[in-house]
Amino acid sequence: MTRFIQQLADRIRGAISKSSAQTSVDIREKFERFKKVLQCNQTALEIIADMGEKLSGDYLFDRHYIETTFDELSETVLKCVHRLNTLCDNRYKDLYEVYEHIYDRLLQVLKGRDDRHGPPVILLHEITKGQFPIIGGKALHLARIITDLELPVPPGFVITTKAYHDIIFFNGLEDSLERLERLLGSHSATDDEIEELRKKLKQSIMQLQPTRHLLEEIELAISHLADSGHEVSRFAVRSSAREEDMDFSFAGQFETVLNVQGSSMEIFNAYRTVLASLFSRHVIEYRRTVLEGEGQMSIAAICQVMVDAKSSGVLYTTDPLNAASDNMVIVGNWGQGEAVVDGKMPTDSFILSKKDGLKIVDRKIARKTEALYLAAQGGLEKRNLPHELQNKACLTDEQILELGRMGIKLENYFKHPQDAEWALDPNDRLLILQSRELLIKKESDIDRSLLNLEDKYEVISSGEGLTAQQGIGYGPVKIIRNIREVDDVPEGAVLVSPRDSSVLVRVMKKVSAIVTEVGSPVSHMATICRELCVPCLVNVTGITSKVEDGMEITVDAEDRKIYKGKVKELLVYRSCQSMNVFASSDFRLLRRLLNEIARLNLIDPLIEEFRMDRCETYHDVLRFIHEKAVQELIELGKDEKRLLKGHLTKRLELPIPTGILCLDLGGGISKEAPEDHCEFEHVVSIPFRALLKGMLTPGVWHTEMMDVSLRDMVTSMINAPADALDGQYSGHNIAIITREYMNLSLRFGYHFNIVDAYCSDYPRDNHIYFRFLGGATDITKRSRRARLIAEILKASDMNVKTKGDVVTARMGNMPRQEMERILEILGRLIGFTRQLDVHMESDSSIQLYLEAFLSGNYSVAR
Amino acid sequence: MEDKSESVITLVIIDDEPIVGRRLKQVFTKMGYKVEIFTNPLEAVKYMENNPFDIVVTDFKMEEIDGMEVLRRAKELNPDSRVIIITGYAKPETAKEAFKSGVFDFMVKPFRLEELKNAVNRAAEAQ
Repeated sequence: MTRFIQQLADRIRGAISKSSAQTSVDIREKFERFKKVLQCNQTALEIIADMGEKLSGDYLFDRHYIETTFDELSETVLKCVHRLNTLCDNRYKDLYEVYEHIYDRLLQVLKGRDDRHGPPVILLHEITKGQFPIIGGKALHLARIITDLELPVPPGFVITTKAYHDIIFFNGLEDSLERLERLLGSHSATDDEIEELRKKLKQSIMQLQPTRHLLEEIELAISHLADSGHEVSRFAVRSSAREEDMDFSFAGQFETVLNVQGSSMEIFNAYRTVLASLFSRHVIEYRRTVLEGEGQMSIAAICQVMVDAKSSGVLYTTDPLNAASDNMVIVGNWGQGEAVVDGKMPTDSFILSKKDGLKIVDRKIARKTEALYLAAQGGLEKRNLPHELQNKACLTDEQILELGRMGIKLENYFKHPQDAEWALDPNDRLLILQSRELLIKKESDIDRSLLNLEDKYEVISSGEGLTAQQGIGYGPVKIIRNIREVDDVPEGAVLVSPRDSSVLVRVMKKVSAIVTEVGSPVSHMATICRELCVPCLVNVTGITSKVEDGMEITVDAEDRKIYKGKVKELLVYRSCQSMNVFASSDFRLLRRLLNEIARLNLIDPLIEEFRMDRCETYHDVLRFIHEKAVQELIELGKDEKRLLKGHLTKRLELPIPTGILCLDLGGGISKEAPEDHCEFEHVVSIPFRALLKGMLTPGVWHTEMMDVSLRDMVTSMINAPADALDGQYSGHNIAIITREYMNLSLRFGYHFNIVDAYCSDYPRDNHIYFRFLGGATDITKRSRRARLIAEILKASDMNVKTKGDVVTARMGNMPRQEMERILEILGRLIGFTRQLDVHMESDSSIQLYLEAFLSGNYSVAR
Repeated sequence: MEDKSESVITLVIIDDEPIVGRRLKQVFTKMGYKVEIFTNPLEAVKYMENNPFDIVVTDFKMEEIDGMEVLRRAKELNPDSRVIIITGYAKPETAKEAFKSGVFDFMVKPFRLEELKNAVNRAAEAQ
């Protein structure tokens, strides 16, 4: 497959060098080329969406699917690159190189070699998504706890799997390693053969020589930590095996080295011990029997500042002995947590109830005579406890509750009971050292308990909707009728929304499930649900009228059933499943591949750096292509004379002075329209018509001259581009349309508006992108108007970003009627706020005009 | 599954990917079936020789014997059994041959779990 793509790339490049002498192309031809770019782009995005949907847990697929789909996608993306260059006279030739670079990286992922690229050492608090493949599962878990949950975690750094491969290569061990992997993958290998090689490898690993580069990188990481004010004299070095699920599966099988001196050499020695545990007898045995056929293993290591703990222990966010209860368990002792984990010393235990607010319901204080502390020479030492500590609880009630709250956050976020290690530092600060899935033993009668749940619980909905992400969630309902309510969602709620919206992403980490009335399993929101494992059903008809705020419900996204109340049987069932049940090697491969394909780094052409060299994924490339193609047409739209000559454009004549010129690429204007102009009734472009309808709403558009102060005038003349000052409308207000598409560029006086929309009968294809900037007044007033616009857009369920006087908003994956509704609002908004900035005298104007707009009182703006 | 405790239907699942088997076991156990999973088709056949079974869900491409062979043996052992073959590589002639040999359904990946659930439920009703 690789050769095919390579040949295609070469062929296309050859064709380019021949045709680059091309002169100006016929405009109609340009439109055709533009359409081809869009079509191709759309096809590629659809393939990506399809691949994403396969990760909902609701599909069975195999490697064959992954490989063929990947080929199809690569070919389409390459075609997009080519078509953009055809449109833009080869101004984006470098994009071929960008494409090839990404393609090569994706091939590495397909071959399972994506753990070999990136930095050898990364600070724990600076891990980015693109680095997930090289930090191992445990570090990934910690990185998510740090960034998404903002829970306190001891600082540190990760020695990546890239460093692992480097060090193996540097010490000449890659051949023996390959051999071991081959033996492990073969049915005919004998135990003795494997054992012999394993022993040899383990010994060699214990004697690994460090590269100077690695030691320097470790040194650098330590000094970074020291510079940020952390105590760096002691570290804990733990394994982090490749991928979360794998790491989880290996729980407890790898070495941990505690209280290591904070020097690069000492840390390297500890690292070596951790690596060697990959070749211990039981790990190899486990790989042969349980993880058969999983392919190459690699390992990263987490080096964290060692906490000189006052007390530490374990937190089970659900009582493992009674999963049906609402209880949480905390176990602890004075000093280091190893005393607790090993189970060799008596411990305190505290039971908390999660029902109706967190409270301590039971405590057993053990008589603790000894505990583990950091030894001066490294490692841990047992010390006798002073009399006053022996019968005292190792946590205060306040600390127990704080830990409980952390536990609730962890469980809600990971959608599964957690087994977390905690420590209380010398400053009485509670820290999470690590968190992983709590294993609860399955009782034999669980399966039977799941039968005929309908007889025991009221069913709110059954078989309705589509699964966007599998799983089971329970909690009080919070209905989101207005996007502004999103921030009031309580921890653990079940979000119920009339539609699918990427705004919901904001609160996803704390909700237990999401149900929407309208939506699609391939939307952006659905993608994030899968990333965070939030059980999610979309398209559940009438759900918003079947539930009410605060009503407790249980959502079973696996069987598409929603029950009233708490279905304990299902929650116990959920607790007994482990995450690796979903994670076949094909599933994990697709997930890794998709992470590299669909991650979007180029978000906004206006706000972020939008350059070719910032494209890291196919999605970035597609986004870039789309933007540049549209820009090309906008540029073309400015060339008024050229357009009019070709009779491709028509003046739009409306009762309001908009000065819009329409470029119809096909099916946007009815044939009845006269040659040189058209009127509203002639516009048949779905998105454009909806927008114009809004603009023409009685009262929205007012033409009186605003009273612009001298200062505002001067500001605008300084800030506005030169061409904005002469000939206000000509060539600047242009609508490029088809029956389903619209790209509208508006310049009214000194502000700019772009609305790009696709609106068809296929929700998946639909999108609206809105951008607003500028104005004739000073920045304060302009920013106020920007905030007003942002508020209105938010109230209309769009996803909004504001920076200064720039507002961008987007939405997509919505049915046609919904898109038309939003476009109509945008039309009204454009008219209403056109000259409002001069009125924005104070911050209170924002609220005033927001309410006026929402209640349809447009005259207030006069 | 409408049928309750008195007549539990036995489902034999064969897939060389152990995790797929475990996942399917979870799904069908929850629906009330008695589920046996195998990664090795020969072991599955051995089980079928010694135990009653009603429905077989088997992968097509496997190392030891393929899905067609499983289908033939299952039909020999229990002519009333229903066999569903799952495959990622669909050639029209394979499907044709499978139907000739009495396969109940022939499913090509990727597909929604729901579709497999429906196929199994239909097979159960046909019992």
